[in-house]
Amino acid sequence: MTTAFLTHADCLQHINPAGHPEQVARLEYILDRMSASEFDGLMRLDAPMGTDDQILTTHPLAHLNAIKAAVPVSGWTQIDGDTSVSPLSLMAAYRGVGANVKAVDLVMSGEATNAFCATRPPGHHAETQTAMGFCYFGNVVIGARHALDQHGLDRVAIVDFDVHHGNGTQDLVWNDDRILFVSSHQMPLYPGTGAANETGAHGNVLNVPLDPHANGIDLRNAFEREIIPALEAHKPQMIFISAGFDAHQADPLANLNFTEADFAWATKALCDFADKHCEGRVVSTLEGGYDLEALAASVAAHVTVLMEQT
Amino acid sequence: MADTPVSEMNFETAMAELEKVVGQLESSQVALEDSIKLYDRGAELKKHCEKKLAEAEEKIAQITLSAGQPDGLKPFEG
Repeated sequence: MTTAFLTHADCLQHINPAGHPEQVARLEYILDRMSASEFDGLMRLDAPMGTDDQILTTHPLAHLNAIKAAVPVSGWTQIDGDTSVSPLSLMAAYRGVGANVKAVDLVMSGEATNAFCATRPPGHHAETQTAMGFCYFGNVVIGARHALDQHGLDRVAIVDFDVHHGNGTQDLVWNDDRILFVSSHQMPLYPGTGAANETGAHGNVLNVPLDPHANGIDLRNAFEREIIPALEAHKPQMIFISAGFDAHQADPLANLNFTEADFAWATKALCDFADKHCEGRVVSTLEGGYDLEALAASVAAHVTVLMEQT
Repeated sequence: MADTPVSEMNFETAMAELEKVVGQLESSQVALEDSIKLYDRGAELKKHCEKKLAEAEEKIAQITLSAGQPDGLKPFEG
């Protein structure tokens, strides 16, 4: 069995205004790093286009139509202070959706043990009807709903270790007791949500806010004391990871002090849980991470662990 | 964010801006890219406020001593 690696050239065509941290080079650095021979064992696939129907499992038609209507002929449409749409952004976003759905299909069919979706734009800030924080659609939630509705799973979990709270994912799963959403993130920081007392309509949300300057020891404590026990209680049949790497100590958009080794440790902890309780099923998706070198090194560490589990 | 250097602020100004920064950080009204700058500004303001409070505490201690009332605060030895 193997690790699937899904990406698409369209994801390099989503262009933010000059100087924006969510830049094309993020994915270019990752793809360059992943071209090393140590990753020859990956099952590499072009992410298929997602469909409107897949998006509509998670967002209302009005939101989908609003994003479509925002696509400019040239230049950018500004959605909010840091979220904009370029002419080919929607194509990239559809690849992000399609990558998640395909990754679920591969893992559920047994063609792959686990998968990593190297796509952009990211998705975890996209709320039900609001694109924000560089995100349009909740890719990971769409993948989770696909696993539940199309593959007959009863329970899944989404673990988000991006340094920013996954407010979009939280909003999208708030009333869905089949999905446990767990987020570790710096607080205070954008988007201002993610307090420990935000627990979902059915107790299906666990927020573990971390103090600024928290490090790998704090991450391990969060996992061992809160995150893994919450997973054990929910009994998911598949683990989704919102893999943001902006909690890295080199990242310019936050203050946490994680290293590549910390991301590898967290990945291993989740994979070990999945091996015990979910037949090894893990689908991970790129979220944030804005220091190009640290991002590429962290993704490499993350994918290496995924490959070691197969 | 204000342009006034934090080191030149009096306590009241720094505290007022700090409260504003905390409110903004908790309100979801700040862009992702600006959030870290706002946090850093808040951290600087907090440090400055703590310094100003420590200075005030030191002055009170000295006043208390010079008034012949050594009970309570200890003299500053820094």
